[in-house]
Amino acid sequence: MSDHHHTARLPDTVLRVKALESLLVEKGLVDPAALDALIETYEEKVGPRNGARVVARAWVDPEYKQRLLEKASAAIAEFGFTGRQGEDMVVLENTPRVHNMVVCTLCSCYPWPVLGLPPVWYKSAPYRSRAVIDPRGVLGEFGVTLGEDVEIRVWDSTAEVRYLVLPLRPEGSEGMGEEALADLVTRNSMIGTGLALSPDDPAGADKP
Amino acid sequence: MRVLRAEEVGKVLLKGGPARVDADVSAKFEVGDEVVTRNINPTGHTRLPRYARGRHGVIDRHHGVFIFPDAHAAGKGKCPQNLYSVKFSARELWGAQGSGTDSIYIDLWDDYLEPL
Amino acid sequence: MNGGHDLGGMHGLGRIDVEENEPVFHDAWERRCFAITLACGFLGEWNLDMSRYARERMHPATYLDTSYYEHWLIGLQTLLVEKGLLDEAEIEQRMQALAAEADA
Repeated sequence: MSDHHHTARLPDTVLRVKALESLLVEKGLVDPAALDALIETYEEKVGPRNGARVVARAWVDPEYKQRLLEKASAAIAEFGFTGRQGEDMVVLENTPRVHNMVVCTLCSCYPWPVLGLPPVWYKSAPYRSRAVIDPRGVLGEFGVTLGEDVEIRVWDSTAEVRYLVLPLRPEGSEGMGEEALADLVTRNSMIGTGLALSPDDPAGADKP
Repeated sequence: MRVLRAEEVGKVLLKGGPARVDADVSAKFEVGDEVVTRNINPTGHTRLPRYARGRHGVIDRHHGVFIFPDAHAAGKGKCPQNLYSVKFSARELWGAQGSGTDSIYIDLWDDYLEPL
Repeated sequence: MNGGHDLGGMHGLGRIDVEENEPVFHDAWERRCFAITLACGFLGEWNLDMSRYARERMHPATYLDTSYYEHWLIGLQTLLVEKGLLDEAEIEQRMQALAAEADA
């Protein structure tokens, strides 16, 4: 894996990162242990499971859902999912008539505390350019077809407000416990490029 | 200059860096107001995308008072001002061939907006 | 600025390429680039808006033809040099030294 620099497009990227890091450490500007802690946080500790738990709670607890829709930051903070790139949250509820989709056309703004770091496609030119002009086409590429009467709302995260989609609770999930419900909530469903899984979906375990 | 230490990383990340400012700055607009975005083309930093300049929208939400990026990036300080979610119809942004059902919501500050 | 980053509504950029179950970081260099960018931001020499502007200023062709963390890398080096924390000559020198070490 280490020689397969398929993500580096410039020939000197790997060398440049090493050079910057070594100079910064030498000059005492960065603490190597802090670098490791930063990486560990986002590689292991924070991820879409956080958001899935918030969604599952909203599905089973109408009062929590109300708090989530009215004051998202505080409601999400009840789980301890706070901080960087999630300081000001807004939760967008999908209904049978309204489907929400979130993008950052200008860069890659994304609610880190509830979803972790964004996937490559979210940060890349094709999604960023098309989400605002052809959301239905984008959804089609993700395998989602909505009725023509469904209103699509695309939210461009141009400021520091961060958006989380509350997907529709799937049919057949009545009576399921919160943990099992959280398993149905995919990352894409919380961005708005997917729907929550059906309890009968055999591919459920592998979906991102 | 302050160097980040490993033992503070968790706390620092959980605290974050709020852009919301606790300042009493009067808002130019209210929810429901019709607005038009300015046609600005600064060479500096802005968060008003080209596709939404000179377009008519409606204030959908009032988020509150936040750091204004255009000024903040230029080293002029936070210059806090009111931030809104502004709703634009797809047809307003993309023309008659745009969807008649869909809308695009963009977070925009007072300085980007004029009353209609 | 009307830079290469302002992509809303642009055509011709291709299909959305989704990698199933993608890792958080695809390469060691991405991990390190992520970490040094955040750690340097903490120094207080610049703010988040300045760091976005530093990335936006690259040539639009470069922006479209480089990967996400390369945008971060270019932006970080721009800021470090502009704020006088590092200079380009020492960065180039260190790169040459590291390359020589690797070849030795």
